[in-house]
Amino acid sequence: MRLKVLPPTLRKNNRYLTLDIKIESPIVKEELVTIIWDACIRFQGENNTANFNLWVMKFFEFEKIDGYYHYKAIVRCQRDFVEEVRSSLALANKYNGNRIAITTIGLSGTIKASQKFI
Amino acid sequence: MFFDLNIKGSSLNNNVKLANEAAKYGWSHINFSYNQNDFKDALDFKDELNEDLSDISFDYTLEIESTNVNEIRKITNKFRNKASCISVVGGDLKINRAVVENIRIDVLSRPYLRRYDSGLNHVLSKEAVRNNVAIELCFKDVLRSYLSHRAKVLSNFADIYELYRKFDFPLVLSSRAESVFDIRTTHDFISFFKQTGLGEDEIAKSFETSKDILEFNKNRDKMILKGVRRVDDEA
Repeated sequence: MRLKVLPPTLRKNNRYLTLDIKIESPIVKEELVTIIWDACIRFQGENNTANFNLWVMKFFEFEKIDGYYHYKAIVRCQRDFVEEVRSSLALANKYNGNRIAITTIGLSGTIKASQKFI
Repeated sequence: MFFDLNIKGSSLNNNVKLANEAAKYGWSHINFSYNQNDFKDALDFKDELNEDLSDISFDYTLEIESTNVNEIRKITNKFRNKASCISVVGGDLKINRAVVENIRIDVLSRPYLRRYDSGLNHVLSKEAVRNNVAIELCFKDVLRSYLSHRAKVLSNFADIYELYRKFDFPLVLSSRAESVFDIRTTHDFISFFKQTGLGEDEIAKSFETSKDILEFNKNRDKMILKGVRRVDDEA
């Protein structure tokens, strides 16, 4: 049995970050989830990361340019922790020995609005 | 206006790539840094680089890497009129001291480098204020380190912030990006420094400081003494 949906006043407020990802080796969505969680836990710790309410909503692949694979993604986080998530993701540096760069290129309140940054 | 005074310069093609990426991520001005050995060669392709870059303004920083105080002084005097910004890589206490005492140097870059402390104290801070030498903190030092080493760098940052709040020396934040993997958006850059304990107004002030350094150096040859500048127009 599913839980009843919370009334709007009790729901968490979300923000959607549009990420620009460059990496030397190809990745799939599941690997991005690991990268994001690892980056947040490493910089902010387990206790703080628990508040972030992280979720990878969408994942887009682009063609390889200048020797790196290029992806974009929309990631959900809780409204009051945007700065923490942004800074943690910016500090992601390596994944499986390959160089990676994640930077936030857009921030919005809905998934639809965040798609304009893709 | 977002200024980055320290992006590691290399070949023409690589510089173009870095500058285009920086422009895409919201930076308005970047300085490519070269050490004393490569600076002259870099000046040769400056015009070519200028033609290739339209979205972003750029200039060169001379980044002096030496452990000899006399050598630093000589290199500074040699390149003072050619570079829009002169920075010296710190870390050694003698170097840190000599740099903050030299009014012809603009930036002491990373005084905490390869040290167990921040490399600054109240004496050096006062000298930095007196000689208007900015202290530079690099994002790359945190980005490229991990676990205990990263924690120590962040702790050094916090010590420098404490001295900065008390003595108000010029503070400069830079990325020291070497490749496109090291460049982040300006918002990410600000968010990171906010997380390390710097306030929003302090970060904005650091960008202003970078701008002021470049402005000041444009008119440096016209300065008779601090606060007095020779003007050409008679009106």
